[in-house]
Amino acid sequence: MAADAVFRQEFPLKGGNFAKAGAVALLIKDLLKDMGLDTKTIRRAAIASYEAEMNVIMYAWEGRVNLAVTPREVQITFDDKGPGIADIELAMTEGYSTATREMRELGFGAGMGLPNIKRNADVFHIDSQSGRGTRLEIIIRTNGHRA
Amino acid sequence: MSEKQFHSIHITRDKCVGCVHCMAACPTKAIRVKDGKARITDDLCIDCGECLRYCPYDAVHSHTTSFAALDAFAYKVAMPSNVIYGQFGSATLPSEILSALRRIGFDEVYDLSSICELNNAATEEYLNENPRPRPFITPTCPVVVRLIQRCYPALCGQILPIEPPREIAAKILRTILPKALNIASEKIGIIHITPCSAKMVSINSPATLNKSYLDGAISIRDIYPQVLKALRKSHEDELMRHLFPETQFSGIGMGWSLSGGETRGLKKHRAVAVSGVRDTMRVLDQVEAGLLQDVDLLECTVCPDGCVGGPLEVENRFLAKSRILQLVDAAGERSVVDPKDVSRLYHKNFLSFDHPATPVDSHPLDADPARAIRKAKRREKIFGDLPRKDCGVCGAPDCRTLADDIVRGLARLEDCPFVKKEKR
Repeated sequence: MAADAVFRQEFPLKGGNFAKAGAVALLIKDLLKDMGLDTKTIRRAAIASYEAEMNVIMYAWEGRVNLAVTPREVQITFDDKGPGIADIELAMTEGYSTATREMRELGFGAGMGLPNIKRNADVFHIDSQSGRGTRLEIIIRTNGHRA
Repeated sequence: MSEKQFHSIHITRDKCVGCVHCMAACPTKAIRVKDGKARITDDLCIDCGECLRYCPYDAVHSHTTSFAALDAFAYKVAMPSNVIYGQFGSATLPSEILSALRRIGFDEVYDLSSICELNNAATEEYLNENPRPRPFITPTCPVVVRLIQRCYPALCGQILPIEPPREIAAKILRTILPKALNIASEKIGIIHITPCSAKMVSINSPATLNKSYLDGAISIRDIYPQVLKALRKSHEDELMRHLFPETQFSGIGMGWSLSGGETRGLKKHRAVAVSGVRDTMRVLDQVEAGLLQDVDLLECTVCPDGCVGGPLEVENRFLAKSRILQLVDAAGERSVVDPKDVSRLYHKNFLSFDHPATPVDSHPLDADPARAIRKAKRREKIFGDLPRKDCGVCGAPDCRTLADDIVRGLARLEDCPFVKKEKR
């Protein structure tokens, strides 16, 4: 594969910026469509990146998203400065959520975020330091037929 | 692209002055202004009619059936959209409008509100039987179906697979009229009277039927003068008619042409109604990102406020809406359809799609992903050099689209007037 066939872009995120919630996931989705990836890969990337973006917006102070696309895979990394996740295993439990009442009233915080991201990713890595921040790395493999 | 697609929206070159109004309004960025004239890219056009609304020079026209074309049929049936009831002020009753249509040359006229109610009951049954996926999206607006096929291919499987009332009604009439009248089916013309030209597209190239049961669609705007004349002539009848209460209209179906009307009759399911093309796209983006899964049915109509905001109606949509709401109130919860009949038709698959809506070819930057990725990188670089004024002078709706056109080989960097200036 040619070395230059990697598309990279970085997107900044701001904690608490609900007005722009989901905007980065949308940009990523449109980029993947333009790059001709298959529909299923795009859908998985859209769902996973939306959930991850919302986690940063709801809980962190700031963050950035790094997207890297090759014909074989989509790699998305979310880095944030924020409170971190004290117990990742607990956070991975479906239905577990630390969302406030306000967040739930907005329709968030059903406790499905991380499990949902994991379900839609082929590779899922999460690293968090309490009081510092969280790094989430996901890889979604394309079905490869188009390449 | 493979087969030629039918479109109802066209630009009249003689009237087009090459301004940028339609181009800026187009939600799928299908319009470019080249050599002083607007051009629509067939593959991207979803026939929403936004350009038609925004053109200040009347240069966008829509192709609908002409009244004269009905002469080809021995027996002519009109099936007006409920929107027509809001077009003639609050003193004109639906039954008067239907009889005016008879007087101007239709052999029979059928109200759609009962079929809307039927559709409602069938939808309820379908949602009961199919707990997944969520949300289902209503297919009544043909533009929404086309939008999903082109821009949200992952959602094709979430389109509620029940034909909209206009097709169901035509199918019922096609089944019973030839026998009842002893006239060959092809001699019977079943015509929708429509507030938008997109119905013409769904008739000529149906997305979920092998063949439409309708023979054409006349725009409300085209037929309005004749109906108005017929209504004036029958002023005396009108007085008489007002003395009899109307009974045949369905209260549940009457409001279908208003946003939220399609889902108002649902009893056991959570429904959300969205109208307007941009808001529809915003919500479909969310559905594609996995949201709204706690919603059973998502009603989407691309015209503002629903079909009542169609570009081919005459009365302004606020007045039309107010009139229709009056009629909805008057009809109340009146039901004219037996749920058992609906259930029977439903289980015979009489109301279903012939086939699901399938994705229509997307337009990646290149068929080869490695090349597409390289082009996406180049596009970002080009976009970085553009002024981001989105002025449209280059002939593309905004700087991002110009960058996109450049890497696709459809435009040149020099098309941007600001880039030129800097180089000099």
